[in-house]
Formats: sequence, C-alpha cells, structure tokens
Amino acid sequence: MKKISRRHFLYCSAGFLCSAVQANAFWPFSAEAGAAAGPADIRGHVFKGDAPEKLWKWTHEGYFYTKLDNKLVMCGICPNRCLLSPGDRSVCRSRINMDGTLYSLTYGNPCSMNVDPIEKKPLYHFKARSKAFSIATTGCNFRCLNCQNWEISQAKPHEVRHYELFPADVVKTAQSTGCESIAYTYSEATTFFEYMIDTARLARDSKIANLWISNGYINQKPLLKLCEVLDAANVNLKSFSDAIYRKLNGGRLQPVLNTFKTLHEQGVHFEMTTLIVPGYVDDAEMVKQMCRWILTNLGPDYPLHFLRFFPRYKLDRLPSTPISTLVRFRKLAMAEGIHYVYVGNASYPEGNNTYCHNCKKLLIERIGYFIPTYNLDGNRCKYCRTVIPGRWT
Amino acid sequence: MKRKSERAITRVVIATGISSVVTQLLIIREFLAQFQGNEFVIALILFNWLILGGIGTLLARWVTRRLWKATVNRLGWLSLVLAGLPAVQILIIRQFRDVFFIHGSSVGFYPTLTFTFFTIAPYCLVLGFVLPYSLFVIRTENPDYPGTRIYIIDNIGDVSGGALFSFALVFLVTPLQAVCLANLLLVLSTCLLFRVSSRHHPAVYLGTGVTVAILAVGIFLEPTSLDPSKGKLVFYSESRYGRIQVQQDRDQFTLFVSGNPLYGNQNLSMAEETIHYPLAQLHQINNILLISAQGGMMVELEKYKPSSVDYVELDPQIANVQFRFGLIKKIPGLNVIHQDGRAYLAGSDKIYDAIIVNLSEPDTFQLNRFFTDRFFALARRHLAKHGVLSFAMKGYDNYLAEPQRRKLSSLYNTVTDYFDNVLLLPGQKIFFLCGSQPLRTDIPALLAKKGIHTRYIRGYYYGNLTHERIERLNALIDPTAPKNRDYSPQLMRLMFMQWFAKFSTSPTGFIVVLAILSLIYLIRISAEEFVLFSTGFTVMGSEILVIFAFQIFFGYIYLQIGMIVTVFLAGLLPGAWFGDRLRYKSKQTLAVADGLLIVLMGLLIIVLKQGGDYLPVAFFLVFGFVISLICGFQFPVALYLRGGDAPAVTRTFSADLIGAACGTLVTNVVLIPYCGIIWSAAGLIGLKLCSLIVMVVLHEKN
Repeated sequence: MKKISRRHFLYCSAGFLCSAVQANAFWPFSAEAGAAAGPADIRGHVFKGDAPEKLWKWTHEGYFYTKLDNKLVMCGICPNRCLLSPGDRSVCRSRINMDGTLYSLTYGNPCSMNVDPIEKKPLYHFKARSKAFSIATTGCNFRCLNCQNWEISQAKPHEVRHYELFPADVVKTAQSTGCESIAYTYSEATTFFEYMIDTARLARDSKIANLWISNGYINQKPLLKLCEVLDAANVNLKSFSDAIYRKLNGGRLQPVLNTFKTLHEQGVHFEMTTLIVPGYVDDAEMVKQMCRWILTNLGPDYPLHFLRFFPRYKLDRLPSTPISTLVRFRKLAMAEGIHYVYVGNASYPEGNNTYCHNCKKLLIERIGYFIPTYNLDGNRCKYCRTVIPGRWT
Repeated sequence: MKRKSERAITRVVIATGISSVVTQLLIIREFLAQFQGNEFVIALILFNWLILGGIGTLLARWVTRRLWKATVNRLGWLSLVLAGLPAVQILIIRQFRDVFFIHGSSVGFYPTLTFTFFTIAPYCLVLGFVLPYSLFVIRTENPDYPGTRIYIIDNIGDVSGGALFSFALVFLVTPLQAVCLANLLLVLSTCLLFRVSSRHHPAVYLGTGVTVAILAVGIFLEPTSLDPSKGKLVFYSESRYGRIQVQQDRDQFTLFVSGNPLYGNQNLSMAEETIHYPLAQLHQINNILLISAQGGMMVELEKYKPSSVDYVELDPQIANVQFRFGLIKKIPGLNVIHQDGRAYLAGSDKIYDAIIVNLSEPDTFQLNRFFTDRFFALARRHLAKHGVLSFAMKGYDNYLAEPQRRKLSSLYNTVTDYFDNVLLLPGQKIFFLCGSQPLRTDIPALLAKKGIHTRYIRGYYYGNLTHERIERLNALIDPTAPKNRDYSPQLMRLMFMQWFAKFSTSPTGFIVVLAILSLIYLIRISAEEFVLFSTGFTVMGSEILVIFAFQIFFGYIYLQIGMIVTVFLAGLLPGAWFGDRLRYKSKQTLAVADGLLIVLMGLLIIVLKQGGDYLPVAFFLVFGFVISLICGFQFPVALYLRGGDAPAVTRTFSADLIGAACGTLVTNVVLIPYCGIIWSAAGLIGLKLCSLIVMVVLHEKN
C-alpha cells in the first residue's frame, strides 16, 4: 500500500473540508427547516380574570355551554372548549363567565358592516351577481399570523367602535340595501354564534339567505343547529397539516374536517378556501392529499378556491405566492378530480371563470366582481344541460 | 520590556476599538434585517449594546480583584475571544431567529428586546470588560498610568473603526468579510501582545488558529446563512442603506430590503392603484415625479404617454435591481435620479402634473420627512395648478383601528393646509389624493373615458371601494388630531402605538423596570459620575437630534451623515487631551463644561427656530465636534476627581456608557416623538442643568 506524505495528507484534508463546507455539512440548520422552526403551537389562552365587572347592553347568555362545580362553565361552541372560572374571558375574547353563567358580549353590536358582492366572500356557486349584507363583531377562536382582519378578530368587544344592530335591524338593513343574503364574516362568526343564529332565523323568515364565512372551527352540536338556517358557507381549509394549523393559526385540523363532513351531510352548499402561504402551504404533495380527502369524503362538486397570500399582520416577512404556483395547484386539484377549482387574489382570468365540468364550456366569466358572461340556465349548463352544483337562484 | 508591553496593549486597545465599532454597526444592520427596522428597535439595540458594555465595565474591577488577576496573557486570551465572537454572533442572529420565532413572522417588542439582549450579551460584556482590564494590566507594571490615556486610545480605535466601516467596508465587502477584516487586526495585535509576553505555548497558537479559522469559516458560511427557506436567492448585496436581496420563487421575483418583502414583479393590483388613482384625476399629463417605484408601475404609467417621468430612488442598487429583474421597465421619458426625494424637490425648479410618493410607512425619522407639513408645502410648490399629490398608508380590510385612524387623521389635517381637496381611498392601501381641483371617486369611469385599460381596477374597484366604504373612511377622520410636523413627528408616536397594538403589548412594564433601575443607579453614583452620565446622555441625545435635523434640511445624504457620526466620536479625542491637561482645575472646569453644553444646546434651539433652512452643513459638523469635545473633556476631569484608581475607572467608564444608553433610548422613542425636536433639546438642557446644580451644590459643601 502506497504511503501518504504529510503534505499530501494536509492537501487532501483541506480539499475535503472545503467541499464539506460548500455542501453545508457543518451547517446545523437547513434552509428547508424554515417551516419546521420556531414555536410549534400558537394557540390562544383563556384570559384569567379579564371579564368586565358589569354586563353591558349587548350581552346574551350563551346557547351552548355546560355548568360545572364551583361556578365553572365550559363553553361548547368551538373545540377550544374554554373552561372559565367566574371572571374569566374565553380564548375568542367574546365570552365570559359571570357568576357561573356564560355570556356572549357580542349580541347586536357589530363593529363592521358592508354591502359586498357575493363573489367577494368568495362564493362563486351561490346567487351569482347578488349582494351580501356582511356583518362582524370582534373575536376569533384562532390566532392566524396572517389575519387580514386582525384589528377586530384579535380585539375585545369594548376595544372597538361598534354599531347597535340587533337581529331584526340586521334583517331590515339587509332588505333596505337590496341584499339577498346576510354574510356573517370578516372576524370569526362562530364566536358570535347567538347573534348569528338569532339573526339567521329572522332572515330565513324574511326570505334572506344566510352565509357563514368561517374557519370551520366549531363543535358538532352548534353546527347542526346552525345548519338548520344556513344557506351557504365558505369555510377555510387553511392547510392539510395539523402542525401548520397549530403553528400559523393556533387551531387543529380535525375539527375543521369534521365541519366539512357535517355540512355535506346536512346538504348545505359550501365552498372551500385555501390560502397558499409560501413555505408552509405550497406543498404539492399536501395539496394532493387534501384533494383526495375532499374527493373521498365530500365528493368532487364543492368548489375549491386557492387564494394568493400577501404579507399581512404578523406574517409580513414572506413573499407573496407566485401566481404560477396557484395555477399549478388548480391544475393539480382538477387532475385529482375536483370539478371547480378557482384562483383568487391574483390576476389570472381563467382561474376566476366557471367552466362546465362536463362540456368544459365557459359558463361564467368573472372580471373581478364584474360578470360579463353568464351561460347558466337556472342551475344547468346552457350548452349541455348538465346540472352545475351550487344554489344559483 | 515595560514600554514594549505597554505599546502592545495600546495596539490591542486601538484594534479593539476598531473591531467594536465595526461590529456594532454590522450587528445593528443585522438586527434591522432580521427584525422590524423602526426607530424603536434601532434605539433598543443601541441601548442593549451600551448598557451591556456598561455592565461589563462595572464587572471588570470586581472580577479582577476577586477572581481573575490582570495579566498580559489573560488580556491576550480575552482579545482573541473578542475577535472570534462577532462572526459567531452574526451567524447566531441569522439562524436563531427562526429557531425562536416563526419563520416569516415579525416579532414584537419584548421578544426583540430579549433576543437582542441575549445574542449580543457575550460580546458586549467582554468588550466592556476589556477596556478597564487593559488599564489594570498596564498598571501592574506602571501603576501611575493615567486612566484617561486608555480612554483616549480607545477613542482613536472607535473613530478609526467608524470611518473604516462608513467610508470603506460598507461599500466593498459583505458583513462577515467586514468582520473578518476588522478582527484580523485585533488578532494580529494580540499575537504581538503574546510575543511581548514571551508566550510561545502551543495553546496560544491553537487559540489564534481557531480564531482565524472562525473568521474565515464565517465568510464561507455567509451565503448559506442567507439562503431563503423557499425559492432561491438570486441577488444579494449590502448597500450603504441596508441589505438588498432578490428571491426567486418559480416565476416570481421579490425584492427584500433589510428583510422586508418590499416589491415583486407580480403585484399588478398595487401598481394599478398607485398609478391610476391619482392620474385618472388629470386631464393633461406631461411631467410626473415618482418618489420610489415598485413592480409594474412603469407599465401603468406608460399608458398615459407622459413626456417625462422623473423616478427618484435614494439607493441606486434598489433601482438597478428592479430594472435588472424586470420589476420595473424602462419607458420613454424616464429619468432615474439617485437622490433623497425631498432633497431633490428642494433643489429642483421643475413643475409636475403629479407627484406620486411610493414609500413605506413612516416608522423611521428618515421616512417621516415625506409626510410632514414642510414636505407637503414643498410638493405643492412643485405641482401645476391642476396637479395631484398622492401617497399611501397601510390599508385595512373591514375595520379602521384606532391608532390607524389617528394616523390618517394627523396626515389628513397636515396635508389639508396645503391642498383644497383631499380624498382618501380605501384600496389595498389607503391612498391620499391631494389637489386644488375637485377629486372624483369613480375611477373606473374616468379611466374608461381616457381609454385606459386596467385589469384589477376594472374588475374589483366597485366591490372593494364602494361608495359607502369611501364615505365612511372620510367621515372617520378626526379634525382635532395634531398635525405631523418636521420638528414634531406625531406620526412616529402613532406608528409606535400601532406597532405595540399589533402585538397586543405595551412598553409600560419595560419603562417601569427601567425607571426603577435608573433611579437606583442614580442614587448610588457620585456627583462626578452623574455629570458623566448626563454628558453621555446629552451627547447621544444631541447626536440623534442633529442627524434628525440634518435630514430635515438636507435630506438623507449617506456620506454627510457618516461624517456627523464620525465627528461626534472625533471630538472626544482632543477633548480628553485637553481635559487631561486641565484636570487639576477640577470641579470648576467640570461645571464650566456643563455650562458650555447648556449654552450649545440653547444655541441649537435658537438656530433651529430662527433659520434652520439657511444653516450650512458645516454647522452640524462643528456642533457635533464641539459637543463631543466637551464630553471628552469632562471624562478625565471627572476621573481625576474620583481619584483615578481602579474602582473610579470602572465606575466613570460605565457612567458614560449607561448615560449614552439611556440618552439613545429616551431621545429616540420618547423625547422626539412625544415632545418634538425643540423640546427634546430643552429636555437635554434640563438634564445638564441638574448636573450643573449637583456640581455646584457639591462644590459648596466641600
């Protein structure tokens, strides 16, 4: 065996070290670790002793909660199941335990109300070209780092300016503004459940549709109650990973999946929205898994919207989603078998239009909220007479 | 031999000064790239740096007396540690950010405070420790060696380090290359120190080798440490104003400036809104001024066929990169100007049909200047009769939160002094359109009339900017909100409020703890230390004031601001020399120096109030030099009065540093935003008056 000289050994070692350095062999952190790094769970917590001393005008006793020993109560609206001692405030900031009774503080005091095109929710298969009277109070059971309405979703009811609009007034206002529906939206509608469901009952009596725009983080019982008066929903499927749900949103995946199943079983029309956050949700394999779950459990007919991410709120150091990623995911989801897949928040006209899943012809052309082409005859394709899923009239 | 080791230690102290200032500037830039770059964070980093340095200095005597005798050899080892730490520290800051915080998210006040404190603590503590320790080492051989001399020597290093970085390294090399270059000097001087102390132990060679290896490996690891977690880094450069990176993710290019995703090549909606909202208002469009530009804007501008477009961008690299990666395109009539936008307007006679300010939120003093009364007056003078000024603030989706409402109100009230018509449009951002002619809200109709095709505005305007939304926003403006002025930057205060609201935190806890600690410290220190504390406070405070005022009058001119920072260090040298000569005159001279500082600050107030616009650049340079000269002068005198022994040295050094730390924080985040520039100067006078009274009372007692 040939002997190696000291100099030769040094040269070889230096060469080895240089190549190892170039290959990041000594680098303890991989660039791909970005999504995995940092705190794993940002779930909210109960605000101990934070309840107001007195109830206010916009208080209403909760509809779903359990009274426990020592005046403890457990909220039953969402999977957070906040266990509140007297004087505590829930994770969503909207519910309190006052002397052993659970109260909602957001009954009749919306902080935001607007007349929006229904396409803005987004709902593309429900009463196209109609207007939705949209209301929100404060509060959310999630802590999404990219929340676009954080000013109200992460605020307590007394911290904002608000209107006084009890359920009957909401219905009246919707009627007077020519809206065909009322959307419970912007923050998290589940947190003002009592206000929402009472309004929805009155709205139904007045032939106004009810739209639930939500993260889907709700328990089975209240959801079933809500389904009785619900006409359509847009529910966020923020990702198909429980880890990402915990990290970016402060919630869990399974309860949201359960919500989709319940809505499906109850025959409520709904559409799904997934915000493609670069580095977290833009994983093609995850999107494929998500589509397969949808197809297996819900079928191919519920519209799926892939939305473009923009840096917002606390998640403001990421780039926007490339439009080509959204286009790719749309193709991928359609190839998996989902019939209606849309691209939102992006300039990609094809991704906004509705094409018949049977004859592939253009049914609805959308330029933003403007609809210049509408080729539906009732709920059927004008060309091939196929029934297009949705509630069109 | 004695003189030889003294010389070797002197070299080490100078090299430490150079290394420390270069490292300080690099660390500040690094933190700004990793965290929010607002004035609060900048002050917080400097505060942590100085306070930790002060603690290190205070520890020096205690440690030397009880645990670690002062020896040349140990000084050598400390210097090697000091030389190796900056590279490690920068890499730690880059990598540990995503370990402790969620990737891509911004970080609030307390986490920033904690992270910056602990990541720089090892370096700053050792740095603060080394200076008095060097003196103690010299004194083991030469007990009469004056403490002032080490202070002067350190200042030589500091001035050289500041100049080296600001005028050379920042233009030529990357951060870890700069760290390597600056610290090789320290390694070299340490080697010479070991040579003098006749240390030829293998451990010395190994230690030196490891330090050099750390510095070299840092350079190798630099590109990896900057890699984005998604896509690839296609451009990286350190301009004098900050870090510039371009990330490519599929077909999208995003320009990051100091860690913030500023512009992209696929932000059509923002480009359309920024250009068409103001230009749709005009019948005749010839000359347009853009103060900064972003992806897609030029394409939209081209639709109006303007005869000239002056695009002003302070940082040439930002403009170059935008052209290179197709974020903005070169259109006929485009004239790129690399200058501060406000300074350009002040020096130009050109009249524009539209001035479009496309800058980010005013969270620094530099940016605030584009949203003040004087800027709006300047813009008005450069607009044609029918012209429109446009700028934007961060938008909201469905609810205008209180801090944002106050911010918009302050801006609205400021700009209405100069324009008859001001309209706020709640787009993705909140657009302010200001003109003398009535302004219309039916933008799509105006564009259709002009035959200008848009994609976003055509489809989304009537859903997103409904009549009710526009009306509601304009009705929410509070007419009593204070105006944002050059001398009194209200917006900065509101930006801080907004920042705290975003993270649902308040600085109250920090302020209370700081106030209690400061009180305890102030009660325990001597009169001379209080004088140095207040002088350190005043010097840093006045440096911030001078830079702030300079920017108001001359704009952001990198080299001149670098010179101001340098003269604020340079004056310390001759000051200390004079002080050393006159130290025997003791208390009177200290009091006279305090009096002079008061007079100078008074002069600054008068000059700013009477004729700030007519001041030459030299005024700011001379002012800074004289202020620091007096500060340098006071140090040896105070040290002499305290006896000049080891405890006196550590306590006077640390009083100066702790005063500087408090001055930085208080001036930046309390005095200027809450009291304005004039009252800030008055506040500094008040502090110096207290110091003068303390000296006089003490003098009479003695």
